[in-house]
Amino acid sequence: MDGANVPVGLIHRPGERSFTEEVKKLQLGDGEVFHGEAILAVTKALLQAGVSYVGGYPGAPMSHLIDVLADASEEILEPLGIQFEQSASEAGAAALLSASIHYPLRGAVTWKSVVGTNVASDAIANLASTGVTGGALMIIGEDYGEGSSIMQERTHSFAMKSSLPLIDPRYDMTKLVELTEQAFEMSEASHLPVFMTLRIRACHMTGSFIAKDNKVPEFNLNNPVPEAAYDVTKIVLPPASYNHEQDKFAERLPAVQRFIREHGINEIFAGDGGRYGIITQGGAHGMVARSLRQLGAADGYGNSDVPMLVLNVIHPLVPEEIAEFMSDKDSVLVVEEGNPNLIETQIAQIAHNNRINCRVRGKDVLPMAGEYVTDVVRAGLADYLAADGPGQLRAAAEANEAAIMRARDTARACLSDALPEPMPPRPPSFCTGCPERPVFAALKLLMAERGPMHLSMDIGCNLFGALAPFHVGNTVLGYGLSLASGGAVGPILDQPIVAVMGDGGFWHNGLTTGAINAQWNKYDAVLIILDNGYASATGQHKLPSTGMTPKGLASKISIESSLKGLGVDWIERVDSYNLPETIGALRKALDARGPRLRVILSNNECMLAVQRRERTIKAKALQAGSTVTNEKFGVDAEVCTGDHSCMRLSGCPSLSLSPSPDPLKETPIAHVEDTCVACGHCGEVVHAAGLCPSFYRAEGVRNPGFGRRLASSINQGLLNMLGAS
Amino acid sequence: MSAERPIGVLIGALGGQGGGVLADWLTEAARISGFPAQSTSTPGVAQRTGATSYYFELFPEKNPTQPPLFALFPAADDVDLMAALEPTEAGRALDRGYVTKRTTVITATERLYSTAEKVAAGDGTIATGPVLDALQAASQKLMALPMRALSDGAANQANAILLGAIAASGILPIPADDFRAAITGKGVAVAPNLAGFEIGIGATGGEEAPDDGKTYSPAPDGFDADLAAWDEALRPLIGHCLARLTDYQDANYARLFLTRMQTISGTELREETASRLAAWMSFEDVIRVAQLKTRPGRLARIRSEIGIDADAPLKLQDFFKPGHEEITGFLPPWLAAMIPGAKSKRRAGEGLTLRWPTGNAFGYAALKFLGALKFLRPGGNQYANEQRAIEQWLGAVTKAADIDTSLAVQTARLAIWARGYGDVRSAGLKSLADLFINWDQQLQVDLAGLKVSVDQSLLLAHANPDAPAH
Repeated sequence: MDGANVPVGLIHRPGERSFTEEVKKLQLGDGEVFHGEAILAVTKALLQAGVSYVGGYPGAPMSHLIDVLADASEEILEPLGIQFEQSASEAGAAALLSASIHYPLRGAVTWKSVVGTNVASDAIANLASTGVTGGALMIIGEDYGEGSSIMQERTHSFAMKSSLPLIDPRYDMTKLVELTEQAFEMSEASHLPVFMTLRIRACHMTGSFIAKDNKVPEFNLNNPVPEAAYDVTKIVLPPASYNHEQDKFAERLPAVQRFIREHGINEIFAGDGGRYGIITQGGAHGMVARSLRQLGAADGYGNSDVPMLVLNVIHPLVPEEIAEFMSDKDSVLVVEEGNPNLIETQIAQIAHNNRINCRVRGKDVLPMAGEYVTDVVRAGLADYLAADGPGQLRAAAEANEAAIMRARDTARACLSDALPEPMPPRPPSFCTGCPERPVFAALKLLMAERGPMHLSMDIGCNLFGALAPFHVGNTVLGYGLSLASGGAVGPILDQPIVAVMGDGGFWHNGLTTGAINAQWNKYDAVLIILDNGYASATGQHKLPSTGMTPKGLASKISIESSLKGLGVDWIERVDSYNLPETIGALRKALDARGPRLRVILSNNECMLAVQRRERTIKAKALQAGSTVTNEKFGVDAEVCTGDHSCMRLSGCPSLSLSPSPDPLKETPIAHVEDTCVACGHCGEVVHAAGLCPSFYRAEGVRNPGFGRRLASSINQGLLNMLGAS
Repeated sequence: MSAERPIGVLIGALGGQGGGVLADWLTEAARISGFPAQSTSTPGVAQRTGATSYYFELFPEKNPTQPPLFALFPAADDVDLMAALEPTEAGRALDRGYVTKRTTVITATERLYSTAEKVAAGDGTIATGPVLDALQAASQKLMALPMRALSDGAANQANAILLGAIAASGILPIPADDFRAAITGKGVAVAPNLAGFEIGIGATGGEEAPDDGKTYSPAPDGFDADLAAWDEALRPLIGHCLARLTDYQDANYARLFLTRMQTISGTELREETASRLAAWMSFEDVIRVAQLKTRPGRLARIRSEIGIDADAPLKLQDFFKPGHEEITGFLPPWLAAMIPGAKSKRRAGEGLTLRWPTGNAFGYAALKFLGALKFLRPGGNQYANEQRAIEQWLGAVTKAADIDTSLAVQTARLAIWARGYGDVRSAGLKSLADLFINWDQQLQVDLAGLKVSVDQSLLLAHANPDAPAH
């Protein structure tokens, strides 16, 4: 067997969702109204701007853009002649932009930042040096704050060090679409590739705008560029690279600043023209405007007396624009999320250089780090307005904020009065029936037996193994880097290097930086690859080992053959739901100490994908009157003693608690919810750990054939005689 | 400046509960009825069972003169409606400042327990009652919906019921028909969702969840005189214990329970002791498990769980993993010692495992036969061990009662350690036995220290034994 049992013929084409409706929205023409999510609106803007190629690597919140285009291949991409790929990594996606260096082609790529930007940095920095002819846009999902699953950093510093314009749009659908289209013009005007950042909530924001026709790019797959271009000044080698660096500051960034001014990209709201004001990054504008309304300084439309400069481009700043805004003010508040406070320090510098006597405030009233949600921004604004605002507003801001805090605290006190403990934490976890869960149950059992061991984890669902109930996993350093990150750990702890990696991580970076390095350097290492057929954490994205490309083209690269090609000869494939097999393979791999890489492929298809497929098939079969089996696990309430050992080894969302019907039992008992998909993990766990006889697996047959029905009724007759009823 | 402000609706749910579909229905209904609106969410990996929220704003004016300003985040004292598919998610919204006197709260009352609650060895669950009380006190209005009771068991329409309740609340100016049109337009399970919506529109919030309270079995015949000797308040419990032990073994065994209870005085201590003594005396050995697994009605219950009728084929596998001490439990001690394997430590994933076909007449008959062997039990190895441990515990309780009633009650509660099967049970009994070493002496010389030890042991018994140290 090779691969995660993914039946290629049955793979659901679009990953987690179906995009037929979305594809229709991408086809809207001039004057029609688009209703939908912002990330789809941005995708539509790309088509309206006439892109020749699009690429990307999936990751929340950008996946949608890739998924929709993959699904729109025939209807949209082919007629417009647009090239599209889901790249092998963010580096691959960024490298696509090379097409815009010599040729007048507009191209867009996308990924999750800041992690994806880090991966793509080599290509981006080189591209920023060479510069572009056709407009090049990188749409990055700024995953900072609530709901984020990555380390917290902002992309701003990256844009600054590579001299890339960074658009941080105000979240209004029409503005967003307009800025996406203008990004290409800005890129072409300045010869710089452009970043556009979108926060999570902004990507999922719904709204509407008036659509335009999609534009057929001048050069496209149906009308190729006539001939290849050669220009040595586009090669990043001295002396060209020295000139590139000079050019960035002499020509390109000034061109961006001119573009911003000429097109009114940044927005100025004069307000009451007072001697105070707010300078905010575009992405924080909504929070600022809502805060002002709550403080009594704006209405429901966002109309406000407070002077405001909204920076829809946060790099580069336009010193003249900022100086003009500050010139008649005693102070300004800079609303800038995260740290370092790059905008605030630049603005202070601008005030200083222009001898403007305006106090630049920001991080003195707003938090140094963390997401600027409305409550956070409002508290800072209230402080600022109470100190520097005009007389009437001062009092109102202070009183309104105090009233809001009073209302909040009074309400919250009801909760702390009623309950001693906080609400339960609910971090994400493995889904019901997840084939990755058993590996962590096995590792937990083995560690109970053999003592703790350092386990290097990877990016992806596997990382949930480090959380309750498994608490297995010690470090995580990046996508595909688990094996490499154990390199100096195993030897110093006198244990094998033990690393867990998803198949997504393996193909992203794990094969080269992990497996090849381990094989070459003769690591004493155990690599556990969770081969579930997809990059599941992002929503079941296709991988080289899935069996097809996102566009549906049959194409498969085997993990096993790739490893064998490196000379790895200790490879064991285990059925992930078979716990004794998994434990046995792990024991064997851990005990085979020596300068050799041992690989365990824990194998079963992502249960979300299986369920999505099976549910439809079953529903159809039932309707057609065909034989269908229904499986579920259960717990006998009378047999369960309520010590919850199974919970501590399973962690399945469907394995839950229920009040005991028996007055003699003081703790709730185990209970299997209807959401059970009968993966069998709970049964395997009670067997492997020798827990209890409470669990059972029940399989019922609907629409049975004559033979089965007859056998069943004979059996039932006998059971009745035995008093089973 | 205009006084109009958007109406804020915060939805709290767990990944997979249908919160996203609910937000989509709201957005679509607003579009159909012509009110400007915006929704947003933070799904990400929270789709995988974690807490997730959706935020929706609607501007209560059609065709406004300029586009309203919508926010991506809810804010303190700015949420008009908090709708939750799980009560602690409504509690979480309150904790984060999103429920104030401005807010109407509509929440499902059924708990979905978090991992943190499930992994405690004792009862780690958060009670729904106090959460609802807090929401009631903190909000403008609370509507608590027992979804299962409302939907007659079909809890998967909870989001549609919630939508109905939102429509009926009148907080949004959207007519009910526009919500119906949104459900139809979305095209997902339209009929059941429309049915759910109608249930929600009709819901009052005064619906009672079915009572899952514990019910006591009546005492078996022949115990009337014995029962009369007990406090009236304790009689249902004692009767239940007698019924349990008669079912477990016989009337004589039930009388042994009464004899043991004679040594306990005081109503509180008796109550605390009786339930634990009866539970322990009916320890689950293989004979008991076989008896329970072949209870009349069990197969019918399982059939209804998976939704098949009485004559449809059912394949049932009971997961058994009997260890040495369990297999040999009903043999006399001298014989049990002769069966090999007593001393070898079982390694994870190894040893005898059975998937017993209890749904098959022959599998059932074999198990039924095993369950009928209870006459062997009193002569068996496990029985002797358990009775010894019970006597030791009871002795500790009575001795403590002579000196300090609260210590006696806590000591009675220590019987929680006698739980589980195999290694779990051995480890629990050992914790208990260790605590009772030098019990009499410690009662005399270090009462305070002993109380601390007992309290700590109880805490440990209820905690998550695998919790990381930090």
